[in-house]
Parts: sequence; C-alpha cells; structure tokens
Amino acid sequence: MGLLDLFKGKFVDPTYPGVHGGGNIITTSLNAVVRWGRRSSIWPMPFGTACCAIEFMALAASHYDLARFGAEVLRFTPRQSDLLFVAGTIPDKLGPVIRTIYGQMPEPKWVISMGVCASTGGFYRSYHVMQGIDEVVPVDVYVPGCPPSPEGLIAAVMKIQEMIKNGEQTKSPQGAHRVGAAGAGAIDRRARREAWAKDDAARREQGKPPRGVLSLPVIQEPSRDVHNG
Amino acid sequence: MSTMASVTTNTAPAPPDILTKPAARVLSEALGDNVLSIEDFRGDLAITVERKTWVEAVRLLRDHPELGYELFLDLCGVDFLDREDRPERFEVVLHLYSVSHKHHVRLKTPVPESDPKVDTITDVFRGASWFEREAWDLYGIVFEGHPKLIRLLTHDSFVGHPLRKDYPTARRFVLKDAKKMLLDVPEGAEGLVVNIGPSHPSMHGAFRVQALLDGETVQDAEAEIGYMHRNFEKMAEERTYWQVIPYTDRLNYCSSFMNGHGWALAVEKLLGVPAPPRAEAIRVILSEFSRIMDHIICVSTNVVDLGGITPYFIMFRAREVIYELLEACCGARLTVSYVRIGGLAQDVPDDFEARCRKALAAVRDVWKAAHELLTRNVIVMNRFKDVGVMDRDEALSWGWTGPCLRGSGVDYDVRKDHPYSGYDSYDFDVPVGTNGDCFDRYLVRMEEMRQSTRIIEQALARLPSGPVITDDKRVALPPKSEVYSNIEALMNHFKLVYEGILPPAGEAYGYTEGANGELGYYIVSDGRKHPWRLKVRPPCYNIYQAFPHMIQGEMLADAIATIGGLNVIAGELDR
Repeated sequence: MGLLDLFKGKFVDPTYPGVHGGGNIITTSLNAVVRWGRRSSIWPMPFGTACCAIEFMALAASHYDLARFGAEVLRFTPRQSDLLFVAGTIPDKLGPVIRTIYGQMPEPKWVISMGVCASTGGFYRSYHVMQGIDEVVPVDVYVPGCPPSPEGLIAAVMKIQEMIKNGEQTKSPQGAHRVGAAGAGAIDRRARREAWAKDDAARREQGKPPRGVLSLPVIQEPSRDVHNG
Repeated sequence: MSTMASVTTNTAPAPPDILTKPAARVLSEALGDNVLSIEDFRGDLAITVERKTWVEAVRLLRDHPELGYELFLDLCGVDFLDREDRPERFEVVLHLYSVSHKHHVRLKTPVPESDPKVDTITDVFRGASWFEREAWDLYGIVFEGHPKLIRLLTHDSFVGHPLRKDYPTARRFVLKDAKKMLLDVPEGAEGLVVNIGPSHPSMHGAFRVQALLDGETVQDAEAEIGYMHRNFEKMAEERTYWQVIPYTDRLNYCSSFMNGHGWALAVEKLLGVPAPPRAEAIRVILSEFSRIMDHIICVSTNVVDLGGITPYFIMFRAREVIYELLEACCGARLTVSYVRIGGLAQDVPDDFEARCRKALAAVRDVWKAAHELLTRNVIVMNRFKDVGVMDRDEALSWGWTGPCLRGSGVDYDVRKDHPYSGYDSYDFDVPVGTNGDCFDRYLVRMEEMRQSTRIIEQALARLPSGPVITDDKRVALPPKSEVYSNIEALMNHFKLVYEGILPPAGEAYGYTEGANGELGYYIVSDGRKHPWRLKVRPPCYNIYQAFPHMIQGEMLADAIATIGGLNVIAGELDR
C-alpha cells in the first residue's frame, strides 16, 4: 500500500462527490486538503502538572497508542505544536506560565482541557487554584473525569480533528470575566457562623426561637451508647 | 497503640513511666522549668518547651548521645484560633527520628499572636529551611535568623497567610507576572542563567530550577516550588475524615493507593480502631503493587531523560496490567479511593488472585527486560555512576527518607523498623546502597520492585478470609442490606453520615513507607468531625529541597540525570 495506490483510487470511495473516473481524478478545495493534513498530523504539547499527566502518559504509551490518530509527535516546546493538552490542576502561580505557553504556539492552535481541575478547578475550591483554565486561555474541548480515562481523551482528540475539519477554533478565553473569582462552593465558614449568631441574637430580642429549631416533645430514655443506637 | 493519654505540666509531678523515655528525661533535666508539658498519646511522645529554649532543645535532641535524633522529618505551624485550652494562638511543631535508637519525638513550642517569632533551626538541620519558609508563608510565623524568609508555596501577589483559621478558604489573588529571577546574579556577571521548568520535559511535574552556568558547569542553583500548591491541608480542615481520602489519592498520584493506606492508618491510630486482617493483607498487596508502579515511572522516565525511550514503552505495559487490577477492585485506574477508615470500601473481586498473578507475571516480565536493557548498559552506567552523590549525614540532615536515603547507605525502612499492616510477618529484604549516587538509587529501586513481588506472593498465599472493614459502628458504615431492613443499622448509618467519625481530642503522627519515603500524616483533632489541622509530611519535599545544592559544581546534563532519580512528584511536593 503506497502513496501511488491512494492516487490510483484504490482507497478512495468512487461514489464520493468530487471523485471522478473511478478515483483517478479528485476535485476538492485547497482548504479541505490543508485541513485534512492538519487533522491527521496533530503535534500536541502536553502541559502536564498533576495526576492527569500520568494518565496522559498512559495514553501516549503502547497500550492506548495515540499514534493511531496521527497525534503521537509530542513536542515539549509550544513553538512546534498546534494542540495544547492542559493536564492537571493549574494553580494561580501557573497562570502567567500557561498564558505564555499559549501565546508562543503558532496559529492555528487548539486547547484540550483535560480533567475537572483544568476545566473548573475540580474539588480544589481554594485560595490558590485557578477555577478553570478558561480564565486565561481559550479552551476548545473540555474532558471531564478525575482523571479522564484514556478513551475519553481519544474522544477529545477526535473532537479536535472534527473541529479542524470544520475550520472551528475558539479564539478568546470563555471565563475571562471571572479571573481571580473565589471558588464557588467553598464557604467562609467563620463568616457564616458569625452571620448565624447575629441572626439568632436578633430573633432572641424579638422573643423568637432560632431558625431551624423544631420544638418536639422530649422522650426520656435510659441513656445508651450514643453511637450504637 | 492503646496507651492512655497522660498529660503532665511542670506544676504536677510527671508520672514515672513518661520519664523513663530518654528524650523526656534528658530534656526535663537539661531545661528544667522550660519544659512546659510532656505527653504520651497513642505512643507518640510530645514535648512542649518554652520558645526561648527552642533551638537549645532541638540541638540537645540531635546531639545527646542517648537520643541521636539526627533524621529531620517535619516542621509545621498550627493555628489554635479561639481555642480556650491553648495558651497561645500559634504553635510550631517539629518531628524528628532517631535512626540509631529507632524512635520518633515531637517537639512543640507555643508562639503568641502578638509576637509570632521563633529562632530558626536551619543551623541544626539543613532541611528545616523550606519548612520554615512554608510556616511563614502559610501562618505568618517569623523564623528569626532564617537566611531567606520569602514566600514558598503561594505566589508573589498573594496577600495574607492562608492557613490561618480566619483566612477564607477560597479567597484568591491573581498573579500577573511570573517571578523572573530566583538567583541573585550580580550586574555584569559573565555566567549564563538557565531556567529549567516549570514547563520542561525533564521536570516531571511543575517545578522550577534556575541555574547559573559557567560553560556547562552549574555554579549556583535555586529551586522554586508551589506551582502545584492546591491547598490539600486547608481543604482537609473542612472535610470529614472520609472526605479526605480522595484528596490523599492526589498527593503522590503515581502510587495513589499508598497515600490512602497511610491516611487510614493514621486515623486508625488516632481512633485506636484496627482494620481486620483481610483488609490489612489486601492493603499490603495493593500498596506493594503501587510501589512497583511508582518505581516503574521513576526508572522509566529517568531513562527517557537520558535519551532511551524503549524502557518507557516496555515498563508501562506492567502499569496497564496493575491498572486493570485496581479497576477491578474499585472501579478507578489511577485515583482509587479504595481504603476506608477501618478497612476497605468493598471486598476484592472473586478473581483477585488470578489478576494479581497476572500482574505479577507482567511485572517480572518487564523487570527482566528493563534489567537487561539498563543495569549493565554502558550509557546508563556512565551517566549514573558518581553523579548526584549524597552522603549519609547530609541526607539525614536534609531529611531524606525512602529509596533515596537507602541509596545513601542508611538502613531505614518504616516497613521493617516500625511494621504496620502486618509487614513484620512477611519475609523481605531492604536493599541499601553504598555510594549514594544516581546508580545506587536506581539499583535500590530495581531491587525494591523484586522485594515487593516477594511480599505480594506471600500475602497472596495466605490471604485471610473474613470482613474487609471493621464492625465498629462509630467508624464504619453498616452494610446496605442491613440499612434497608434493620432500624438499628439505619440509625447507625444516619448518625455516622450526619455526625461523621468523631476521634478523641489529641494528636497523632501516622507514618508509612511511601514509594519515595516516609509519608507522614500529623493530625491534630479537637474531637469534632473535621481535623483541626492536618499536616502531610511529603517525602519528596525534603529530597527536592536538597537538589539545587546537589547540582552545584556538576555538569548541567548530570542535573537532569539526577532529578529523574529523585522521583519528585509535584502533587505531593506542593500539596
């Protein structure tokens, strides 16, 4: 099977529009050919910081073999790559780093946000973790999971290939409006406790019981071990 | 493990059994009234001293012939905000280990909020440097005389000290520009400054070294961490004891199961509730498989850095088989969350033994292939031998543990010296190096993989039957079938979910032999369902701290060969 066979039409569907003369003549647009080349030879740069990077290694190793999708040429410099794999939690300290790396990649470029930490901060709703890399860089595909399975990543690579085929690319960071926002879900417990105490005091002044207290008749029972029912 | 708590202060006479412990006796003789209290809780000896005698006490612990606490383990701050039972707001806590006498000690000193200052102990233990910086960064405790007390884990635009109890968990600050220079290079210096990391193929994770080169020789180097600081300790203070388990998986993610194992043992130590024998045996099996996985990553990526990619492809085959085994047990490949306090989440599948044997066969297979490819390989030998040498005393002072410390010739393995989970019933050897160079560390890791397979074989041969989680209703959830059919089980379930596990108030330091060294969890409990303070003692923190000092005067390429063999894992390093 060589290149010649391809041009002879051996592997071209003769019923496909644009294929003429049994595959001997193919008419297409230059754009389509370029995109075909691009999507079949993605050069990813893994920006692995945490656990997801280990799962990314599993994807690149022999068992899952990313080479089947033409994306095995891992480049550790952004200047030679067109797909950025952000694998792992991105703390605020890495914010300028990831922005620099994205800026150094030549156009056109795509970004996969691997795992929930890179996508939303994950279960690290805390003082030093970026709540999603889309605060600083545009993201094309988000892959859920902690970490995502290699199958999920393969699906993401295929999704990128589809986007390349359709000429789509995300241009601006989706979450730019919430840069530096506190992680949703994490509460300032001390402030909440103080607010409750204030509320209770206010209600006590009005002669009302604290909120959320049910007045039920107390049933006297012989004392037993509190944990054993 | 079930020692009764007994507290003494200088007003009450100490019970004689505590003063038989050499550290307690020596310190109270030498410091007199400056020893505020001596406690023995769950077998952990804790001595509190006055702040002004802090350095003296540390020196005494290290240098006194009867004590010989020469291995620096851990130093951290604790914030006791609004706690009536504590004299001062802050406390500085130090953990030391005596390799010659084989015991631990915890030394504490109270630090007032109005004047949060302690003298530095960096002159006594080199490894204390980063720990003190961290305590300053997270708690604002000033260590007087510290050579470079600047932020370590958080970034430069950060305001405040996040692990203080009055700092809101999720308040963030945005960093605009990364720090350009770590080294102080004088104006007009001729050397070339090279940045390695935070995104660099030979840095396995996000950390950074800046080196000043003269030709190809490293003249000066400085490391920067915190690129993976994701606040495990702050998050743990808001989680119940179970909810911490998934976070522990993400500490050393190359061997997730072992972190959970260590965490479960630490909490079980605090509770005084042991896990059933079957659970312990399964924990040992999966921990040893995790150790093998970790060493596979270390050895194979280290060799990738030297330019040999074949071992990586070969050795990862075994990892896949172990992944399948873990997936069959708990449904996850990497971040397993399989342990529970008091046992395991569920029993192993029926074909567990067959799967283990398959994984063992795969491990032996790739081990043999890697051994034939690497151990007598002339390139590997030339790149590894006499490179990155760390001598015994230096390693202890830095606080090295695990394969790296054993590579430097110190025979300390928690599994042998302080057996847990029934390690004393298995027959295995602890390999120890002689030169402390990269090649010794490589050999130690290779041999440990072989010893791990031996342990797994023995554990499989006599895997006990029975439950996999304790029946203590204060700790373990009752089986679902009983919850649905039995009011008592339903109430136990409700109470446990609603109230959580309630350990006694006290402190415990649980330690296990992680894949790169002693993994310690220091838990401070106030009797409620969240840990008051949880400090992880990450083994590679001490190891990486020494790295910039190791490479000074060496070639740049040797630095790359060294870093891979230290097996620094960012998630564990920065937590």
